[in-house]
Amino acid sequence: MGNKQTVFTHEQLEEYQDCTFFTRKEIMRLFYRYQDLAPQLVPLDYTSCPDVKVPYELIGTMPELKDNPFRQRIAQVFSEDGDGHMTLDNFLDMFSVMSEMAPRDLKAYYAFKIYDFNNDDYICMWDLEQTVTKLTRGELSAEEVSLVCEKVLDEADGDHDGRLSLEDFQNMILRAPDFLSTFHIRI
Amino acid sequence: MLSDDQVNETVINVETVPSGVQNHLSSNMNVPAKLAVNSRFGTVSSISDIEVTDPQVFSHQNDRRAKQSVRFSSLNEMFSRSHHSSDSGDMDTPCTSRGSIQGRQKLIASLIPMTSRDRIKAIRNQPRTMEEKRKLRRMVDKEKSKQSRRIFELNCCSQCLNSISLAYRRSKNILSELLSSVSLWQKTLKIIGGKFGTSVLSYFNFLRWLLKFNVISFIVTFSFVTIPQFTVGGNNTFPFTGLEFFTGADYFTDTVMYYGFYTNSTIQHRSGGTSYNMQLAYIFTVAACLIICFFSLLFSMARYFRNNFINPHIYSRGIAKLIFCWDFTITHEKAVKLKQKNLSTEIKENLSEILQENGKLTLSQHLTRLSVHLAAWVVSTGMATACCAAVYYLAENNLEFLKSQKNPGATLLLPFVVSCINLAVPRFYSMFGLVEHYEIPRQEVYVLLIRNIFLKISIIGILCYYWLNIVAPADEKCWETVIGQEIYRLLLMDFVFSLADSFLGEFLRRVIGTRFITSLGLQEFDIARNVLELIYAQTLVWIGTFFCPLLPFIQMITLFIMFYVKNISLRMNFQPPSKAWRASQMMTFFIFLLFFPSFTGVLSTMAITIWRLKPSANCGPFRGLPFFIYSIYGWIDSLSNSPSYTWVVWIYQNLIGSVHFFFILTLIVLIITYLYWQITEGRKVMIKLLHEQIINEGKDKMFLIEKLSKLQDTDKRANPSSLTPERTDVEEPGPLYGREHEAAHDLRFRRSVQEHSPKA
Repeated sequence: MGNKQTVFTHEQLEEYQDCTFFTRKEIMRLFYRYQDLAPQLVPLDYTSCPDVKVPYELIGTMPELKDNPFRQRIAQVFSEDGDGHMTLDNFLDMFSVMSEMAPRDLKAYYAFKIYDFNNDDYICMWDLEQTVTKLTRGELSAEEVSLVCEKVLDEADGDHDGRLSLEDFQNMILRAPDFLSTFHIRI
Repeated sequence: MLSDDQVNETVINVETVPSGVQNHLSSNMNVPAKLAVNSRFGTVSSISDIEVTDPQVFSHQNDRRAKQSVRFSSLNEMFSRSHHSSDSGDMDTPCTSRGSIQGRQKLIASLIPMTSRDRIKAIRNQPRTMEEKRKLRRMVDKEKSKQSRRIFELNCCSQCLNSISLAYRRSKNILSELLSSVSLWQKTLKIIGGKFGTSVLSYFNFLRWLLKFNVISFIVTFSFVTIPQFTVGGNNTFPFTGLEFFTGADYFTDTVMYYGFYTNSTIQHRSGGTSYNMQLAYIFTVAACLIICFFSLLFSMARYFRNNFINPHIYSRGIAKLIFCWDFTITHEKAVKLKQKNLSTEIKENLSEILQENGKLTLSQHLTRLSVHLAAWVVSTGMATACCAAVYYLAENNLEFLKSQKNPGATLLLPFVVSCINLAVPRFYSMFGLVEHYEIPRQEVYVLLIRNIFLKISIIGILCYYWLNIVAPADEKCWETVIGQEIYRLLLMDFVFSLADSFLGEFLRRVIGTRFITSLGLQEFDIARNVLELIYAQTLVWIGTFFCPLLPFIQMITLFIMFYVKNISLRMNFQPPSKAWRASQMMTFFIFLLFFPSFTGVLSTMAITIWRLKPSANCGPFRGLPFFIYSIYGWIDSLSNSPSYTWVVWIYQNLIGSVHFFFILTLIVLIITYLYWQITEGRKVMIKLLHEQIINEGKDKMFLIEKLSKLQDTDKRANPSSLTPERTDVEEPGPLYGREHEAAHDLRFRRSVQEHSPKA
């Protein structure tokens, strides 16, 4: 292809191409987006695999994420230490999963982790309350919120243990075909 | 150490037994949060180094990692099983404390024999971090090169194949990069999605998809039919006035735009050079366009059905769907706030519906509702029939009317009336919604759609009938060109009306909504009505391609302009939708519509034209033939005289021309469909059984927990002084856990054995 890029080695780009759903051009474009977030922090030469993390505060200012109610959870799920600070790998991973080419199972897995606020591998009542609060931003009363959470558990909890496991979640997603198109961030 | 055994058991259960067990295990660990739950994970630390965590700390890196590694092994089974069933291997591998590494090795082993394409797909679909995927890829490559080094001499052929597949993959990547760079309107779609959400975006995606059809049709017809005609050329006797763009007549009549201009000769530029039979080219080109459209429609429809199967049995007033399907494409601050408000409203409505659900309607209320529905249906059908009758009457008298009128603009009367009907009647139908009440709001959308479809299809049907039965046999000078011109005028008038609607109608509605009657507010984009208009236009284009080969080009320009007009109008005059619109289901339905009444109608019209109608005697590529199809018959006859093409003649006579072949083909297709249907039914039953089983296992779990807690109580009461009498595992922070885990594990194991044995 056209211009020779000096950011990654050929091997690195091949690896990125094989491990994400992006083409080479898109990976380069994403790299420049990442670099734009923190130009002093992110070097223009990744051939030596520098260990650089862009802090969450800067990630959260991206126009694609800035107003999303779940931006903090998204950054936490995809970051290495769960604190929201992302390396380039995490960044590419995040947008790869949220792209339109990722399959439903993969998206469901990560959606489950995003909605699992306390990271216990189950969406329990507390997680649901947090989700509903973030979604409705104070429009619902506390009573309505708990009613909603109970209803959700009623509908989706297959084995009736009072919380949603990954399988319950995936089963429910099967019945919501819109999930694939809504769990999608275009970059 | 007992903790190790426990760890081992944990690992076995995760890897070997279906996931119901896993739930059980983790539930025992997490539900009694007062017991030092997370400290139990401290004993799992033989897998990875972790400190004992405080239960109050929500996210601890290593805690997550341990759970992740345990989960990954089971997920590996899930993902690798779905990709490559034969390689999942023996589930009952003996346990070691390195369970996760075991899982990874199994994954690598399953990845190695895959083709490189499948391998990359499997690696991409792994829910792992980039670093892990990279390591996986390197290890697989290393293993693969080790293996291939061993069998190098024997399989230089497979090396060839490998390099070919690598080259193919690289070229596919380059091609997809090129295509994505050419991909139209990416930024605009992102902005629309950001402000209005996925549902409105689906309309614009549909428009873009239809544009692709027209581009392909245009390229095919232009290169195979129009360009050869340019080389031959012809005379144009008409003067050019500006009115041609509207009427499509006069100057345009004698151009490549219409059927009548094309020659019926065999084009040959140099003697001895290749000859180009225009007749065959024309009919084969149009057939090729239709076949390409047919297959792309079929495949798109199949793909949408597979992903978004509309199963009426699973319909639930899903509040879970509202909660978990937040639209991540919305990126504008105001739009997000609005969406949150709308979501709250919808949730409240949903909750109140549940509370009201028990209220049954009285008989008289039922009857009233039914009679209102019936009245609405009668009125709508009556209106549609009246409109069709009006169109028919106008069309019938159109020919004499036109002869008596001198003004060329008179030809625009019929398109004008049709466009007015298409504009006014759907809006009239929408007003029925004020009177009719539906229990399920989705029913309302579907009923409205069906009424609109009925109207539009009837109008097209009447027009086709008029063209094929009245215009064609009327012995006009060049009836195919006449039909081409009429279709052109219809399309153009439709386009003009859409523009007027967007610029004037929607603008006025916004002014009224914001200045005069502020309670109305801004309107919402009516996706269904707009998509139906697109489908209507596309149907006309497909019918008209035979009579006017440049029609796909015109439609291309139309769609291009419509995109920008709708975009601007959307941003100025509309607000984001307030209700959740099931975009994927609706899209499936629309593509099905595009296929079923629309495209099949086009195919039948074409079939009638080609088999039943007599081409005009003085113009076009088929002049002089008794029927259009005779061009093919003549070609086959000429081929049967030359010895090298007897196979074509054979195929034609025995496969296409014979009834037996189609009969047998239909029979085979029916048998296969029946078999697939039976398999689907069987799977539905299996799903129901498995679902019941999951519920039963949940109940078992609860029962066991109660029983064991009772045991614990009786123990405590029996021996109040000693803390841990019979419990051998003193260091074990959760002896209760261990015991109930073992008992539960036995039960689970027994149950899973029972499960597997009937399957075996």
